[in-house]
Amino acid sequence: MDYLLRILILALIYVILSGSLNLQLGYGGLYNFGHVAFFAIGAYTSALLSLAGVPVWMAMIAALLAAGLAGFLIAFPALRLSGDFFGIATLAFAEMARIFLLNERWLTRGPLGLPGIPRPTFTGQGVGALPLFALFTLALAAAVLLLLRYLESAPFGRALKVVREDEHVAQALGKDVLWLKVRAMACGALLAGLAGALWAHYVTYISPHDFTLETTILVLLCVVLGGKGTVWGPVLGAVLVVVFQEVLRFLPLPAQYSRFIAPVQGMVFGLVLIVLMLRRPQGILPEHRS
Amino acid sequence: MKRFATSVCAALLAVALCAVPALAGGEVLVGAITPLSGKISVYGEGFMRAMQLAQDEVNAAGGIKGKPMKILFEDNGSTAQGSVSAIQKLITVHKLPVIFGPAASSNFLAVCPIAQRNKVVLIGAESAAASISKCGSYVFRVFPSDLLQGKGVAQLAKGLGYDQVVLTYVNNDWGVGLAEVFSKDYQAAGGKIVDQFPHAAGASDYRSELLRIKKAGVKAVVNLTYIKEAATMLKQAYQMGLKVQWLMGSASKSPKMVQLAGKAAEGVIGTYPVVSQDTPQYRVYKAAWQKKYPGKKLPIFGEYNYDMVKLTAKALNLATAYNADAIRQALIKASQGYIGVTGDKSFDANGDVKATYGRWTVKNGKIVDYK
Amino acid sequence: MYYLQLLINGLVAGSVYALFAVGLTLVYGVFRFINFAHGELITWGAYGVLLFMAPPLGLSLGWALVPACLLAVALGLACDRLVYQPLRQSDRVTLLIASIGLSFFLRSALQFIFGADLTSYPLGLARGFSWGELSITGVQLAMVACAVIFLGGLFLLLTRTRLGKALRAVSDNPELAGIMGLPLKQVGWTVWGLASLFAAAGGILLGMDTSLDPFMGLANLIKAFAAVLLGGAGNVWGALLGGLFIGVAENLSVAVLSPGYKDFVAFAVIVVILLLRPQGIFALAGSGGVR
Repeated sequence: MDYLLRILILALIYVILSGSLNLQLGYGGLYNFGHVAFFAIGAYTSALLSLAGVPVWMAMIAALLAAGLAGFLIAFPALRLSGDFFGIATLAFAEMARIFLLNERWLTRGPLGLPGIPRPTFTGQGVGALPLFALFTLALAAAVLLLLRYLESAPFGRALKVVREDEHVAQALGKDVLWLKVRAMACGALLAGLAGALWAHYVTYISPHDFTLETTILVLLCVVLGGKGTVWGPVLGAVLVVVFQEVLRFLPLPAQYSRFIAPVQGMVFGLVLIVLMLRRPQGILPEHRS
Repeated sequence: MKRFATSVCAALLAVALCAVPALAGGEVLVGAITPLSGKISVYGEGFMRAMQLAQDEVNAAGGIKGKPMKILFEDNGSTAQGSVSAIQKLITVHKLPVIFGPAASSNFLAVCPIAQRNKVVLIGAESAAASISKCGSYVFRVFPSDLLQGKGVAQLAKGLGYDQVVLTYVNNDWGVGLAEVFSKDYQAAGGKIVDQFPHAAGASDYRSELLRIKKAGVKAVVNLTYIKEAATMLKQAYQMGLKVQWLMGSASKSPKMVQLAGKAAEGVIGTYPVVSQDTPQYRVYKAAWQKKYPGKKLPIFGEYNYDMVKLTAKALNLATAYNADAIRQALIKASQGYIGVTGDKSFDANGDVKATYGRWTVKNGKIVDYK
Repeated sequence: MYYLQLLINGLVAGSVYALFAVGLTLVYGVFRFINFAHGELITWGAYGVLLFMAPPLGLSLGWALVPACLLAVALGLACDRLVYQPLRQSDRVTLLIASIGLSFFLRSALQFIFGADLTSYPLGLARGFSWGELSITGVQLAMVACAVIFLGGLFLLLTRTRLGKALRAVSDNPELAGIMGLPLKQVGWTVWGLASLFAAAGGILLGMDTSLDPFMGLANLIKAFAAVLLGGAGNVWGALLGGLFIGVAENLSVAVLSPGYKDFVAFAVIVVILLLRPQGIFALAGSGGVR
């Protein structure tokens, strides 16, 4: 039972994370390959503050604000670039952030990481106190999904999709293209920060090694696999990816074969991305075109 | 959509139910977080074998109050994150009250708050970082704290006549901790640290760091690092023509280091917690190992793992119940005066043990004691 | 003296980055997309040597070099044929994502076979050559020599041969080149062959200089990216100079920053260039040409 809860919590965190990337990539056409940076900023902000004695709920709010601010600041310079170059720039930014976290030991303890991150007081501190934490995560994930659903049909979301399809048309219609994109980046970053904070309090130990390019690729896979531009697409993608990862870990392999699990996961995920691009770039759940 | 979701959940449930091992009523389970894959998996294999050797001996002698002892190995992938997942699984899924902690101080330190918070006994066999002493009342280790080794290295440097050194250390909990202790003791004894900096673990190119050492122009360098890192640094120093006296810690004392570094390792001097190979306990351990694993070399820290399991078995036999608090009390009692393969394992108030530190050097391609 | 040594180290590293960057930029010039899987050609080239040295073939290091390079070339061509060619008409982001997936796949496959640990070639230990305070090893000299030879060869190819001129024409204007009847297929193969060969050679040299690990390709890919962007995407000589610049900048940075920030330099260059001058320092009017 507890193991199922663990998978559920992980899946829900990824639902939030892929939903946030989808806001930028799916709705806005912004290929942000540095998303893990916002995840990391959320995780570290919440962890550092709560380890310093700040109540967890306050630390989490600070975390999502910090991530949102980062998204806002990155947006202005980066958005002048197009498509793939924007992706490279955001990727470079994420790696710079990781190297910074790795080296500034006075702030983040560098590679030593931050152990002993507390859980929110109302969910209980023990490792086994999962049910309440799972409910908490579920509530947050549901809230995020409702928000994304609302945004999709709200003027903001619709304008964003027009921008994605054809910027010039959007401009001709009088939309402030840059401001729309900036808001998409900031909002997506804020939600990614929330996912990061949740994750930090769930695993109770974080280090810069957890925030590599691989995580960005995984989240990208969730969005692209499930169907970008829809609300449920990334949810489906997140569930599929997380379940696959955990099922593979569960296989009763003799100990000497456990070293193959991670490479096999990587090969499967890589292949799925390739096949998706070749055969069905829109993902599993198609977008409704109104 | 709904049917798809239900079938996914059903599949998950099925897998979960199959995978949780039936807790056989007839066995006493102890968890072990071991690096069976990843960067230090080559050592993890040795740890596992040594623990299994001890487990077999315990069971041959009657087990725990008549029931066989079984160690449940959980792979941590050699990472701290993996250790955290492993301990969460061992505590939530298997509900184990006593766990053998993972190797490498950083991995151990990542899980000890979890063990302490959940009131689970955690024992370490290879973790030296001084900060582990502060982990809490449920945390023990049969390996001596670096608080003692730091003094040893400082005495080594001063004793050999080096009043000025450059200090470099691997950038993780073990390196940082030991460097701090060394630095305090060395400077208190009048030594001067001309330059100090951490170096990354697992890098393939240390030439920038070596150039910095060359620039400082000292005769001796205190390098507190692991086997691969030490070998790479020694080799690249050799290629660069950098000639200094290398003073190292216990983590690089290994035939593997000498094998990797070749002639570049010649003349390195270091400290290590002495485990005498002349005691009857050691001879018995060695013979038992060779009988169970003919042809396999004795693993690094195998003796510590062996002692850990044996001592825990003694405690489990003494314990009034199979829960963490009872096991904890029994462990403290069982350790007093317990002479294992690695010496006296009496736990002090912090769950630490004592040790004496000797010196090693590399001579003619072999690691020998330094006189 | 300290700075001079750092400069030497920088030029050595830069020569290898130049090899990688030139390959990457050739592909961009002709096919117009960023090949994220280029790094894996580096890694597979380096590990290829180990593959051919292991049983059942059991070749010695020297004999394993050529087969390893050929393996990388075959791999590069296969990637194009199986993944990139079908996507020729898709937009650049789709190609980039596909190449990210390919890179992930190839890196994991390598870890599956070889494990995730650091390994090295069974080379003996030798002292480097020194002049006073400066030193350089034999392998480092080989790195520079190799870069000079390969890039010199490329120069001859691009300026003296029909194929080379066709390549330049294609990267200038693929549609027109097709209409003019230039051998697009041969040009494509040549580009992938050269890019893979340069990557593999660089990877092998890096492996000889330090060691091998499954992430070595990815780490160097970033430096190659920075060099390509610095020189202007598609510009071969820009990539060469960019590579040298990155190598020197990285190594000199150690004098002021902590060594842990060495990799930071390449990323910072990428970000700065993209923000200030995305077309690169050496961009010419109508950039994107292989000149």
